[in-house]
Amino acid sequence: MAIPPSHHTPSPSLLEVVGMAIDSLRNNRLRTGLTMLGMIIGIGAVITVTSVGRGAQKSVEQQIQSLGSNVLTVMAGASSRGGISQGIGSASTLTWEDAKVAAEQVTLAEAVSAYLQKAQTQVVYGSENTTTTIIGTDLNYPKVKNIYPQQGQFFTQDELDAALSVAVLGSKVRDQLFSQENAIGLDIRIQGKRYRVIGVMESKGAGGIQDQDDSVYIPLTNMSSELVGNNALSGIAITGFVLSTRNTDELDAAQFQVSNLLRLRHDIYPPQADDFNIINQVNLIDTLGTIISLFTVMVTAIAGISLVVGGIGIANIMLVSVVERTREIGIRKALGATRSAILSQFLVEAVVVSAIGGGIGVIFGIGVSIAASLALSIPLVISLDSIAAGLTLSVGIGLLAGVIPAQSAAKLDPIVALRSE
Amino acid sequence: MIQMQGITKTYSLGELNVPILKGIDLSIAAGEYVAIMGMSGSGKSTLMNIIGCLDRASSGNYTLNGVDLTTLDDDQLAYIRNQQIGFVFQQFNLLTRSTALENVMLPMVYGGLPLSQRRDRATEVLFKVGLGDRLLNRPSQLSGGQQQRVAIARALVNQPALILADEPTGALDQKTSQEVMDLLTELNQQGITIALVTHEQDVASQTQRMIYIQDGLVLSQGKPLIPQGGIV
Ligand SMILES: Nc1ncnc2c1ncn2[C@@H]1O[C@H](COP(=O)(O)OP(=O)(O)OP(=O)(O)O)[C@@H](O)[C@H]1O
Ligand SMILES: [Mg+2]
Repeated sequence: MAIPPSHHTPSPSLLEVVGMAIDSLRNNRLRTGLTMLGMIIGIGAVITVTSVGRGAQKSVEQQIQSLGSNVLTVMAGASSRGGISQGIGSASTLTWEDAKVAAEQVTLAEAVSAYLQKAQTQVVYGSENTTTTIIGTDLNYPKVKNIYPQQGQFFTQDELDAALSVAVLGSKVRDQLFSQENAIGLDIRIQGKRYRVIGVMESKGAGGIQDQDDSVYIPLTNMSSELVGNNALSGIAITGFVLSTRNTDELDAAQFQVSNLLRLRHDIYPPQADDFNIINQVNLIDTLGTIISLFTVMVTAIAGISLVVGGIGIANIMLVSVVERTREIGIRKALGATRSAILSQFLVEAVVVSAIGGGIGVIFGIGVSIAASLALSIPLVISLDSIAAGLTLSVGIGLLAGVIPAQSAAKLDPIVALRSE
Repeated sequence: MIQMQGITKTYSLGELNVPILKGIDLSIAAGEYVAIMGMSGSGKSTLMNIIGCLDRASSGNYTLNGVDLTTLDDDQLAYIRNQQIGFVFQQFNLLTRSTALENVMLPMVYGGLPLSQRRDRATEVLFKVGLGDRLLNRPSQLSGGQQQRVAIARALVNQPALILADEPTGALDQKTSQEVMDLLTELNQQGITIALVTHEQDVASQTQRMIYIQDGLVLSQGKPLIPQGGIV
């Protein structure tokens, strides 16, 4: 009789072992289902969180883009006299004149619009009222901000020059003050003063730095004389101005030009601090994008913990199943199963359970992602890499979780195993 | 076929060493049909496990079919169990969740046979033990005698030279016991060496030779009969 050298004894192929694993899992449906549950939830959570995170990121980017990716916002800052900062809002450091000069001299500027802003202002129509932001501005505002009247029209140069009390409503303000009525031609009251509604803006959706839908637009001249009494050193004080360039690439250069112009006009010499702040839309997108992706990574890590818990669940149930199947292991060994045959049987079972659970988890995660994107009205972003990562992870976790139970099964003494009840 | 000299087995329970087998000298020739008898606790099952390569002796020499088993490692012993030996247990030891056919196919899985061959051979052997109409029944759907016949089919399927049966009729009534014994006798007549453990005199008397174990020693073993093949 010829005995093959050790480790060259015949053994079932991997395919065969996978088949045995599937048979055994099918024969224990309840146990299999419970084992898979942890994986389904874990992988499902990871897929959902990453896709919702990426969707939110994309949504914010789209919204900022819709505000104009080629826009600089220049805001009045702390005035400094004799090198001593007076603090923001102590006096407005920007005037309408600054904006007008910028429009002439900043060669990269496509359009410039000055604005004066007052937040938390009560607006009343009949018995309805709402608290909103009043924006006094000039005719260029729609062009720079890429927001146009959907109904009626924006005010004209004549109305601006004459400082008439006319108002264009953001869509949300309209919805809050008027139910079904056509608002055009009706009178509202802002801080008790009467304004005639001449237009309603299109809706841009909430998001970005300021909700453009939750605003009322009136002539800057009127705002300055009727609603606010900002003190400027000279001329008409403004909150700031917005400036658009023809394309996004020119934004940084335009920012440079604006800074230089304003420093020159305000007699500021570095290292003296600027008395204005410039918000660059592109930088803003980058910053927000970074914040959201950091947030997504964090939440994904938390979801990852549920994967670890799922893995421990698999290990736990596999361990119990080894004890429960001690006699089976004894029988298999008596019939000629080697250690490595038993080891691979249990390892493959853990991997198969975990991989099938992971696969179901991926489908489940995609389902929840679709539901979430509909519910939160954010774009649906399901990337192949997160699916691939989910599946790889589940196989890896199955392998890790299976090692210890499989080893304890392989180590069993056949006689002891056969005797067990 | 089987040659044992000075086989001992000692279990250590903590500090205490308990000798169970104290120097067994035994030989069984190819084609023999022997019964191993003795009092409960005398070490019959322990001896059977060593003969069947499920367990290793503490000391002594054991050659099976001319191979010195003391030098083999676990994988090689598994190979011998798979290829050379068929086990029949008192409690049948079938996989309860698998069908008769799957149970009988199992030794061939570990023997590395392809599926189609496994199915054909398992079916053939189940027909041979008279269970051709029970291929897809699970053990719970079979009587004790039928389960033991499935177990015998499983022991046969890799065409071993030796069948070891530890109280194969211990869990059966007299009538089914006799059916199982008839089957074993028939297999022996076809040339398979059979060693069985039993407490029942009328079971033992159907074999060719009785070996008595007492206090870890062979009390009497008659003369090894040397039929057709001679000692291998
Ligand atoms: N793993 C073990 N550890 C310690 N003692 C053991 C072990 N296995 C068996 N024994 C002891 O060895 C002795 C012989 O056991 P064995 O099962 O071989 O007896 P047996 O002759 O088959 O008895 P029976 O006829 O009741 O089946 C018994 O006293 C038993 O308690
Ligand atoms: Mg016994």
